[in-house]
Amino acid sequence: MHRSRSFGRAPLLTVGVGLALALSLGVVLLAGFRLATELNGSVVALQTASSLQTYPADISREIDTLRERLEVRTYAGRALDDLRGTTTRLDDGLADLARASAADPVALRAARDSWARFHRELDPVLAFSGQPYRDSDTAGSVLSTAGRAHFMHVRRAQLYAARHAQALREELGKVVDGLRSSASTAALRLRGLLLGGVLAALMLALLAVHLQIAKGREERSAREAQERTRDILRTVREGFFLLDSGHRIGPVWSDALRRMFGREDFAGLSFQDLLQDLVPPATLATALKYVNLLWGDRAHENLMKSINPLAQLEITTESERGGKETRYLQFDFHRVMGPKGVQHVLCAVGDITSSVLLARELQDSQSHASAQLDLLIGLTRTDPLQLGSFLDTADAGLRLVNAIMKEPARGDGEFRRKIDGLMRELHSLKGEAAALELTSVAERLHALEGLVEACASKAELSGADFLPVVLKLDELLAHLQGVKEIAGRLMLTREPQPLGESGSIGAALESLAAQLSREHGKPIRLELAGLAQVPAAYARTVKDCLIQLLRNAAVHGIEPTDQRAARGKNGTGLISAKFAATPNGYELVFEDDGAGIAADTLKRAAVRRQLISEEEAAAMDTRAAMALMFRPGLSTADGVSMDAGRGVGMDVVARGLQSIGGRIGVATHPGRFTRFRITLPAADRATGAVA
Amino acid sequence: MIRAQRTPSPADAGRRVYRLLIVDDSNIVRRRIERSQHFEDLQVVGTAGNGLDALEVFAATDPDVVTMDLTMPRMDGIECIGRMVELKPSVRILVISALADKATAVEAMERGANGFLNKPFSDRQLNEAIAELMRGA
Amino acid sequence: MLHEQELRIFVEGTTNFFEVAAQQPATLGSPYLAEVPPPLHEYTGVINVSGKREGVVYFTAPKAMLAVLLMKMQETDFSHDTMRDLVGEVANTISGNARRDFGGDFLISVPSVISGEAAAIAPKAGARSFIIPIHWRSHSAKLVVSLG
Repeated sequence: MHRSRSFGRAPLLTVGVGLALALSLGVVLLAGFRLATELNGSVVALQTASSLQTYPADISREIDTLRERLEVRTYAGRALDDLRGTTTRLDDGLADLARASAADPVALRAARDSWARFHRELDPVLAFSGQPYRDSDTAGSVLSTAGRAHFMHVRRAQLYAARHAQALREELGKVVDGLRSSASTAALRLRGLLLGGVLAALMLALLAVHLQIAKGREERSAREAQERTRDILRTVREGFFLLDSGHRIGPVWSDALRRMFGREDFAGLSFQDLLQDLVPPATLATALKYVNLLWGDRAHENLMKSINPLAQLEITTESERGGKETRYLQFDFHRVMGPKGVQHVLCAVGDITSSVLLARELQDSQSHASAQLDLLIGLTRTDPLQLGSFLDTADAGLRLVNAIMKEPARGDGEFRRKIDGLMRELHSLKGEAAALELTSVAERLHALEGLVEACASKAELSGADFLPVVLKLDELLAHLQGVKEIAGRLMLTREPQPLGESGSIGAALESLAAQLSREHGKPIRLELAGLAQVPAAYARTVKDCLIQLLRNAAVHGIEPTDQRAARGKNGTGLISAKFAATPNGYELVFEDDGAGIAADTLKRAAVRRQLISEEEAAAMDTRAAMALMFRPGLSTADGVSMDAGRGVGMDVVARGLQSIGGRIGVATHPGRFTRFRITLPAADRATGAVA
Repeated sequence: MIRAQRTPSPADAGRRVYRLLIVDDSNIVRRRIERSQHFEDLQVVGTAGNGLDALEVFAATDPDVVTMDLTMPRMDGIECIGRMVELKPSVRILVISALADKATAVEAMERGANGFLNKPFSDRQLNEAIAELMRGA
Repeated sequence: MLHEQELRIFVEGTTNFFEVAAQQPATLGSPYLAEVPPPLHEYTGVINVSGKREGVVYFTAPKAMLAVLLMKMQETDFSHDTMRDLVGEVANTISGNARRDFGGDFLISVPSVISGEAAAIAPKAGARSFIIPIHWRSHSAKLVVSLG
């Protein structure tokens, strides 16, 4: 930006200097021409005036001569002609001066007035014509009558000339002086003007030179800056490039990109092509949308970093030693603002492999330490009998998980078939672990569930995708081993706690309800009835089912307190589970007085999860929409938390019930309640209650 | 750029007070947001626990700034954001969510949210995010 | 606890061998855990690991698979010794990969070869083994990682 501005300024200045030069030259020439014309007029007038200066004396002399001639009665015509000529010349000269207007008008007028008076005295003399003499016998040649008058006129003119010629000469002298001084003034001004013009041209020339030097210096510093930029781009460890609005990479990029991406053709490459083979299509689509947000004007750059889909990109590249290596790249995007808004998006790519690995190790050791503590705290709170029962269940459950893993699989389909079973098993174990507040176990199950879920979103599944799952499973088994050891020691030192009123199912539900109430800030009252009558054969299924229903009710069903108040409901949410024998078997009614389930919400969620199409959703009646909740992969919670939102849950409940011949139905009223009615066939009552 | 979009209000003459609406289905989170904002020029004008209620409160209180959860019953945050921006293009919306799915987060931004804050968040993070939101892009 | 990266290096060492030697990649079957490792196939290449982790890693394959592999490698000799050599090579590749990628953290032995289904390898005591089926063409072998 600095560059473009200074380069924009230079031509403007050059043009300005040129204009100034032309303008001042024009002024000098024009003024010089006028001054020179003026000076020329003054000089010509001065010459005229100077020559006029001698005329009064000439005229005096010529009158003298005329008188002498007349006195001695010699030929006077010639003298009179001389006088006439001089007079005419003086007339003409003064007229010229008046025309030229170079002379000082006051002095000129004085001279002309004086001369006019002089001229009047001369007029009778000049007007004379004819012979002044007449020959007389007595005295020879004598003046004729006209001659006498002429002589008299001459004598009078002589007398006037003697008195006034000097004055006229002086007045003409004044005109000459005026002309001389005005000529010298004009000459002086002309000289000044020329000097000024030369000075101005000189200064402008200096300015031009200075600008040229400055421009050179700017160009040099721009060049140096460019070189420095090149140096930086060559040595910096981060990959830098600019994206234009068409998502294309600009011509300037740092060399580190070469190493990171193993290619050279960055300039003009589209961002999509750069990432095409490195990033899963869904992530790439999100990344492009993310970058697009930066071109818009709503998104805050700093407030969207946490959702950057390329904040930690795992890529596999050929290592320098020939093998494959996994590296982690971090893409960071910044707006580059120009005068008209976003000009570019600067993308910085860092290789964060070592920090990712370090963080992972740290987390491993930290979570190990905190897990030990959590475990101890969890275990001291847990009823040893329940714990023992859970450990057995977990053992069996994880054996099942491993058995599912062990099923031979080669193609994508065979691998994909494992996912549902794994999810169901893990989810139900997680529910129990959370109910017992075995956080460390529940967290591991949650993580394992996440890994399995990640497999589901992969395009073409292979055994390699399940390696993290089996590693986590190993870790979980090791952890449970630890739990068993600690629990074994604890059981030696603790008395078993008496079972709650409604048996272990009730205790588990009470504990879970308390926990959910705490975590979600919703006061909850749990009403249980008849759970002690659950036949042993159904105990596990009913317990799993109730844990799931309770979870859903607490997380999705019961509204936040203020909403309840707004709806005129009691601030404490009521959840009830009532188990009773019926003539044909058993009935379990589970109810919450929460927000109910809206058919539209289920449809929208199903469409978003691509379980059904928009058209199917539109055609679906309420009953069919309600049935959606029992489909695998549907959850109305967008977030993934320990308690809900994994997309399994109700399908676990439904399948579990199916496996023991039960059925489930749902009734709901938006804003008022949700009620599940579960019927179970008669079982061997002889096995008695509980587990 | 965002600044240019800001609709002038009578309060602009003196100190501008921003009106905040908090939308989250968790009581705890709502209270935390209410508690933790220490801005003199920010005033909580309403709270809501789901998208539909949020639109009602939005229409009634005309907030300048909204914090928005995505995971909510009745109407989710994404849809709610779209409606709010339609109603008042100058509104600034901070999504506060535990969402792990970045595609949905980006979708929320595409619908018109101005920023995103991950749950769990610290008071400092929240204050910084709101300050950033009020400052403009 | 075994890290994913560590497991992957053993797995990649194995699949690399097929890709390079037979120009046909092997695929992974579904991995699982076993307290008692499954029985061996006819030929088994073993490396012993010590240092940061201790235990064994071995590749066990049926004779039929090795025979096809040899054919793909343009071999004409299908004798017992050639088969032994071949599993030895696979084990060699695995240990080479591991040496290169783990550096000094692991001490990896020169591979040894066991033949015969009746033979057994003692897994690392107290450690579960990771069993990774290796599919190649219509045959299956196993990579067993037993490290503590």
